Amino acid sequence: MALADQAILFTVDLLALFSVYLIIDIGLNIQQGVTGIPNFGILFAVAGGAYVTAGLSTRLALVILGIQTNLDPISQNVSVLQLVNSVLGSRPTMAISLFILFLAIGGVAGAIMGLIAAAPAVRLREDYLAITLLAFGEILNVIGEGYTPLLGGPPGVDLPDVLAWAGQYRFYAASFVLLVVAIAVYVLAGYIIKTPFGRTLKAIRDNETVARAVGKNITHYRTASIMFGSLLCGMAGSLWALYSGAMTPTLARFDWTFLPWLMILIGGMGTNRGALVGTAIVVSLNKLITYYKYAFIGILPFDIIWLNYLLLGIITILILIYRPQGIVSETAMRRKQGEKAISKPS
Amino acid sequence: MGKILEVKDVKKAFGNLRALDGVTLNVDDKTVTILIGPNGSGKTTLLNVITGFLKPDQGQIRFGSADITGRSPQEVYSAGIARTFQIPAMFGNLTTLENLVVAEKNHPGESLTRSFIKRLWVKRERDAVEKASKILQLLGLSEQMDKPASFLSGGQMKLVEIGRALMSDATLYLLDEPVSGVNPTLAHEIFARILNLREQYGITFLIVEHRLDIALKYVDYVNAMVSGRLIAAGPPKEVISDPKVIEAYLGA
Repeated sequence: MALADQAILFTVDLLALFSVYLIIDIGLNIQQGVTGIPNFGILFAVAGGAYVTAGLSTRLALVILGIQTNLDPISQNVSVLQLVNSVLGSRPTMAISLFILFLAIGGVAGAIMGLIAAAPAVRLREDYLAITLLAFGEILNVIGEGYTPLLGGPPGVDLPDVLAWAGQYRFYAASFVLLVVAIAVYVLAGYIIKTPFGRTLKAIRDNETVARAVGKNITHYRTASIMFGSLLCGMAGSLWALYSGAMTPTLARFDWTFLPWLMILIGGMGTNRGALVGTAIVVSLNKLITYYKYAFIGILPFDIIWLNYLLLGIITILILIYRPQGIVSETAMRRKQGEKAISKPS
Repeated sequence: MGKILEVKDVKKAFGNLRALDGVTLNVDDKTVTILIGPNGSGKTTLLNVITGFLKPDQGQIRFGSADITGRSPQEVYSAGIARTFQIPAMFGNLTTLENLVVAEKNHPGESLTRSFIKRLWVKRERDAVEKASKILQLLGLSEQMDKPASFLSGGQMKLVEIGRALMSDATLYLLDEPVSGVNPTLAHEIFARILNLREQYGITFLIVEHRLDIALKYVDYVNAMVSGRLIAAGPPKEVISDPKVIEAYLGA
């Protein structure tokens, strides 16, 4: 394969991953960056969206497309999907409608997971809240492995191909669709952060006591923030499951909690732009390390599978020491906006 | 003149420490009342109990005709009591203007679902911004409007706190040491503005303050607390010449 083709494939693949992570990071930023809720349990919402979508999508597709079969959608998943995908391949409108439905299901699942995690924890002080949410992270993997009707146990299930109609362009169409959803989420979240709702979240983050003194119901806003952020994380999980085309109960805390946290740390918390910058940097870095690490086989005194962990860990420490506010600093951005406003003749 | 706030035999203990030991205190409508007392006499605890941040162990608190004993801070705030804090507390990353606007009561744009539809809240937002700008002008803070609040000086933060309380349209304001750490000129200015606000809006102030040299000129009544009890109440001259107050607080 020509180098140019390879570069294009690499970039297109990267865009899909970037889009999924951007949505997660915006969801995490709303919670941690805007509201000050250290949600170390976003894996719970991401996996919720991914697993529920994976578990329901084939069943729903059978019902909605009106396909009669005696095959079991989970245990005979592959044969059932042949029937489903052959229909989806010729009905693009139906396929896109199903895609939107699955996305919504993932979002709702994520929001419910967020609510489940938040309900007992949201009344706690920040540090205890963080610990409680951390504990929720991997519960769904245990459920996914043990409860076969969800994902068919450890082997996992495949999902309907909602882009089957794109034929030979499927690979590009997938990244494109993901990017469109990510951009829509970016715009929407940017708007929400600027509304009075977003302002109240920031007020709670900056000073909980005063926020209570001016009549804000802290529990209510924290719950709303966790649910909204988790909804986005659930959507991202759903997108990831549909993009991958298969799901096993193995979503890992490193990939779906640590990496998003690293992204908003590097990018800077509290602003959408920070989430964007951080996502772009870490997704590219992680992919590049994965791509080139095989060149180091035999050179490094340890197994190269640890290279991602090691390098990203070092970067985390350096960022925390030398630029704890991240690349895009909310305060600096605010001050700049303020200066602009003051210098304007009124 | 009617009573706007009645505190009846309120008790609050932290373990063995009786922070409030049966406080009874009244605040008359449209007056500026100051609450004095040595450190640890329970002044701030009393404010916390009135505003719902702490629940009293015993006693009753009436605001106007309503019983607000043990209500949550939100309920007390919407009933019409606003407060400030001893250590100026800002929403540091919000601008000075936003620090005020965020205190707007029942803002429809504060609901997640309604915030999606700008039409439902944009007019209210405009009104709130206008109201906040007016208050900032009154407090001499117009220049600082778009600066993040964390860049303000300590004295300016005190003023922003008062301004934020004013956004509530409350009828009773509880100010915790509004001029501590503020230079004398600005301190006099703050009290002059408090009187101004009282005239303009017909509102009531209960102020905890140690700076008697400044405060006494401006206030109608003085309440003195010692060890969780009220030991004297009345016009400034009477209270500061009360031997009990001199012994416990003012010194010889």
